[in-house]
Amino acid sequence: MSARSDSAGQVFSALADPQRRVVVELLAARGSATGTELAAELPVTRQAVAKHLGALARAGLVESARAGRETRYRLTPGPLAEALDWMVSVGAEWDERLARLRGYLKAEG
Amino acid sequence: MQPFGCGSEEHVRVVREIELPSPPDEVWQALTDPERLEEWFATEVELDAEPGGRGVFRWSNGEERHAVVEEVVPERRFAFVWGEEGDPSSAEGSRRVSIELEEIDAGTRVTVTEAPTAGWGTALALHALLQSACVGA
Repeated sequence: MSARSDSAGQVFSALADPQRRVVVELLAARGSATGTELAAELPVTRQAVAKHLGALARAGLVESARAGRETRYRLTPGPLAEALDWMVSVGAEWDERLARLRGYLKAEG
Repeated sequence: MQPFGCGSEEHVRVVREIELPSPPDEVWQALTDPERLEEWFATEVELDAEPGGRGVFRWSNGEERHAVVEEVVPERRFAFVWGEEGDPSSAEGSRRVSIELEEIDAGTRVTVTEAPTAGWGTALALHALLQSACVGA
């Protein structure tokens, strides 16, 4: 198994857990958050949030930075941003092509 | 229809649908005939629209894509794999495009689906992302 597909496998399994997906959504919405802030918005303990953040960090989805006494977490721009970019650009390509197809058929008809 | 195929096996895809006021045979010609494709799709088109047939699309900005045709059901379904370089059947970064035509009162409904072929790292990341988008769906 290549390093690349292995890391994708980690992304998979990290996001297989519904609570971790909620953590990802919260981080996406807030930009960054501490474990305590995340725990306040979830029906789970601070310890459970720390475990989820650990799994997400191992999958390369989340990074942490110490700011004074607290550790702030944010989404990494890597895998998710790449995925979103792909969808946006491929979707835009087809929007454009199909608009041209419509124009072409109109001109022909 | 759910966006991105939530709950199905094929999470990783972009889907676009358009209704065209032309009958399926005209739309089919526009989609599969190289000369017609050069009128709207790409600057230069070579295409053998048969299963296993090859295609090359070139644009004026220098972009080029190579395709291998997978499925041809006249006036119904046209599917191919394409990519930027190498043999699209095996190259990393290839994508499968399927175009479905359906006759409707107003003309033809065209549904285009583009999805990365298996084995692409980004595809798997996308899959994960879309599963996360399907929370609660």
